[in-house]
Amino acid sequence: MTFFQNPEFGDRIITLMAALVLVLQIAAVGQRWLVSSIRIFAVQSFLLATIAGVIAYFNHASHIYVVAFLTLFLKAVLLPWLLEGLVERIGIRREIEPLINAPLSILIAGCLTLVGYVVAESFYHPEETSVRAALGHNTLGVAIALFLIGFFTMLNRRKALSQVMGLLSLENGLFLAAISLTYGMPLIVELGIFFDVLVAVMVLGILAFRIREAFDSMDVSKLRKLRE
Amino acid sequence: MTGLLAKAGLQLVLLLLVAPLFSGIIKTLKARLQTRRGPGVLQSYRDIFKLLHKGMVIPETASWIFSATPYIVFVTAALVGLMIPMTTTDAPLSLFGGVLAVVYLLALGRFFLALGGLDAGSSFGGLGSSREMTISAIAEPAMMLAIFTVALAASSTNLSEMAKVAVSQSWKFLAPSQMLAFAALFIVLIAETGRIPVDNPATHLELTMIHEAMILEYSGPYLALLEWGASIKQLVLMTLVVNTFFPFGLSSDWTARGLGLGLIFYLTKMLLLLCLIVLVETTNAKLRLFRVPELLMISFIFGALALISTFLF
Repeated sequence: MTFFQNPEFGDRIITLMAALVLVLQIAAVGQRWLVSSIRIFAVQSFLLATIAGVIAYFNHASHIYVVAFLTLFLKAVLLPWLLEGLVERIGIRREIEPLINAPLSILIAGCLTLVGYVVAESFYHPEETSVRAALGHNTLGVAIALFLIGFFTMLNRRKALSQVMGLLSLENGLFLAAISLTYGMPLIVELGIFFDVLVAVMVLGILAFRIREAFDSMDVSKLRKLRE
Repeated sequence: MTGLLAKAGLQLVLLLLVAPLFSGIIKTLKARLQTRRGPGVLQSYRDIFKLLHKGMVIPETASWIFSATPYIVFVTAALVGLMIPMTTTDAPLSLFGGVLAVVYLLALGRFFLALGGLDAGSSFGGLGSSREMTISAIAEPAMMLAIFTVALAASSTNLSEMAKVAVSQSWKFLAPSQMLAFAALFIVLIAETGRIPVDNPATHLELTMIHEAMILEYSGPYLALLEWGASIKQLVLMTLVVNTFFPFGLSSDWTARGLGLGLIFYLTKMLLLLCLIVLVETTNAKLRLFRVPELLMISFIFGALALISTFLF
């Protein structure tokens, strides 16, 4: 099967997966339910793990397999599980109050995607790169878009937990950019990032729980009341 | 000329016969997923047959529009069906119109359906018409953008040409813009066929119905034509989605072997799409009416992004 050795085929698969991740991300912006945005994140992470796996396969880089496996285990299984447990415990399955209403947020997400593509375009110099480096070059635009939309989600939401979701999609964008540009950072860096995200989610989860305990709401704007 | 007629006849027969079957399969699958027994697969045929043999009541206030509507809806749906490649890349009426003709023939049918709903003079009909128009006002541009994305990739707005290019490129056709366009068109498909997150085809509850409200005053053979027309429209839109984005197995000629293989591939792909639709229907609740534009807005953004990203890559 020469089909599976063809780097162009791998490129297609990666681009396709990245496009799927982007589709999911834009769908998540319009999402009202906390649980479904967690599940969208899980599916996104699964797709990212697949992208990492494909890159590892075509570059014969065994340490990226480890990264792919870690992504699969941590971000597609463990984190969603933790977050869903947290949602269950807090008892709010629904998140209603984005600052900007859904159609406009989606429109903004669309514009941010465009910005991502335009920015990524300036990084792309086909004459300077070898064929091998062209693998997954399209994904940089998606990665920047994910990053920007993640930022936007964090700004747009009032509830602590949905801000965590924004942070996670932002991190997904970083991961995608890192893996498509450098074909995997050194394993120790990746491990550090994974550990960071895990700890961040746990700490933020506890924080969200505490905010909920103290204010009977997860609305972070209520934290202003902490002033004398 | 005779060849063209034979092709058109063959596809028309396939279209008319298969459309109620798919509606029946959707109902049965949905019932099974909800652990009900549900009607048999052939129930839609029985319904149409029974309705055709019944008398009908026509409202006193109705004008000729009321009687013309069922025919127009039925004929436009069937015509569109002849312009779309089903089992072969070569659609019988593809010479007569491309994507624009398809979109606007469907819009013509919808326009008359809305008029028919108003013409009957009942308040529900008007309600349904106004809702249908609200939804289609956003669904239509989204559909155009999505199809234009594919048309750009194939550099032709003729559906047969698009299918030919798609078949010759096989997996190279899978680009991110196609993915976005598929997402957009899938949402439009659900909205246009009145499936659950947008409209519920199984209910006559006044607060939620859209399509059912428009055809509330129709009975007997007219209702049969409208139901049949609706199932043909559904089949046509599903075919459009399946054959533009997953063109595997489309035969390039009208030989018996090619047609047979094409038919098998076609039915398999359609069944997969059916399963996807049924899954979406059973796992989602119907959206509130004022949330529907949000869903379609997502579809529109996907379509716009798809079109723009073809220029960026």
